[in-house]
Amino acid sequence: MSASLAERIRTESARLAALCVACGECVRACPMTPYAPGAEAAAPNAVAAGMRDVLQDGEGTPEARAWIAACTRSGVCSPACPEGLDAAFMLRLAQWRAKGALGNAPLIPVKEDTQYSPKVKAFARLTLTEEEQAKWL
Amino acid sequence: MTESATAIFWYGCNMTRHGEVIRATTRFLEAVGVAAEPSGGPAHCCGSPKDASARINEGMARRTITGFNARLAGAADPDPQAAPSDRRTGAGGQVITWCPSCHMNMQDSMAPVTPTNFETVHITEVLHARQERLRPLLARPVKRRVLLHQHLGFNGRVPVNSMVAELLRLVPGLTLAEHPYRAPGHMCSSLAGVPGALADAQRATLAAMAETGADTLCTIFHSCHRDAVALERHGIQVANWIHLLAESAGWPAEDEYKAWRNAADAGAAIGAERMGAAGAVAVEKLVLPELAKPPVV
Repeated sequence: MSASLAERIRTESARLAALCVACGECVRACPMTPYAPGAEAAAPNAVAAGMRDVLQDGEGTPEARAWIAACTRSGVCSPACPEGLDAAFMLRLAQWRAKGALGNAPLIPVKEDTQYSPKVKAFARLTLTEEEQAKWL
Repeated sequence: MTESATAIFWYGCNMTRHGEVIRATTRFLEAVGVAAEPSGGPAHCCGSPKDASARINEGMARRTITGFNARLAGAADPDPQAAPSDRRTGAGGQVITWCPSCHMNMQDSMAPVTPTNFETVHITEVLHARQERLRPLLARPVKRRVLLHQHLGFNGRVPVNSMVAELLRLVPGLTLAEHPYRAPGHMCSSLAGVPGALADAQRATLAAMAETGADTLCTIFHSCHRDAVALERHGIQVANWIHLLAESAGWPAEDEYKAWRNAADAGAAIGAERMGAAGAVAVEKLVLPELAKPPVV
């Protein structure tokens, strides 16, 4: 059990980064690599090394940051990892870090919908009865 | 809300667009012996809308878990009559998820930080494990040739693609088409944030529909459904798996979101009285722009 989410991100990032050999198999397997500018043309091991750098408080490379930003949680990286690491969780950790979750300046664009909750509630008022809203929200 | 719930159906945030799916899913759970209280919306958030701040993300997640823990304190087995193979182990209640993001976040970032007194299971696991109780309910033929909209993600954690397919095979008259295409990501909302990715996935899905001769695209998740309903403009039908099960059970589950999204005038389709009851200004500002946005393909 971690004391906080920030601690969990730091601890797990350090643990997985220490185990990752940056072979690049995760980058090769990833269906989103073509959507990450520069990542397809870069050497997969270099992209993986850049991702690992982000896990270790670094800024990574532009290609690695683009690859981190393009992660959509397909999860095919984990079975592709020859070291048996949970590569999908590594990418999740890298994305948190790259978005500035630990208080650092973001390394990738952060798209937050400021109307997210009001939108959810507005739809609820349309599709749920008042009784359902009172009980289910 | 009861004081001693044994299970919570945690439907997530954006499912409020699909009230009929929440309603029908809750009814299916009850029908197979699982009394689950629906809970969702911003007050029961997993924290992921605030991924750019671990502190805020954690606070939202902690509030959700604390509420679930309190409601499920002392919970008994939610389904004591289930076959031993179907029964969960351990004490405490269950939180039954719908949204794959909520499910993964519970396992990856919420429960490892805030202790839980419940087990987290996905809705497909619960209904699939009780399919023999579900089968008698699905009496009405649904004569459709269906292609299941499947993603690569989440399926490695919970095999939703095969379980939903097996649940659909319980429906008389329904034919399930096979195609190898699996969209990247865990659901379509993740693709929407990457330029070009959702459009490519939708084009590949339409191609798979044409290749298999399917007439109905069946979505698994709400965010996929939200984006896929606009594909009806390409001459196909789009339904969620719960819509199809409800159709076979003869239960009402009208897909109003789809009707609104594909209407020439979404406001007129909703109706002035209903918009007024929901807050006309909020609907105009928050709902109508989404319903009126151009289709991705």
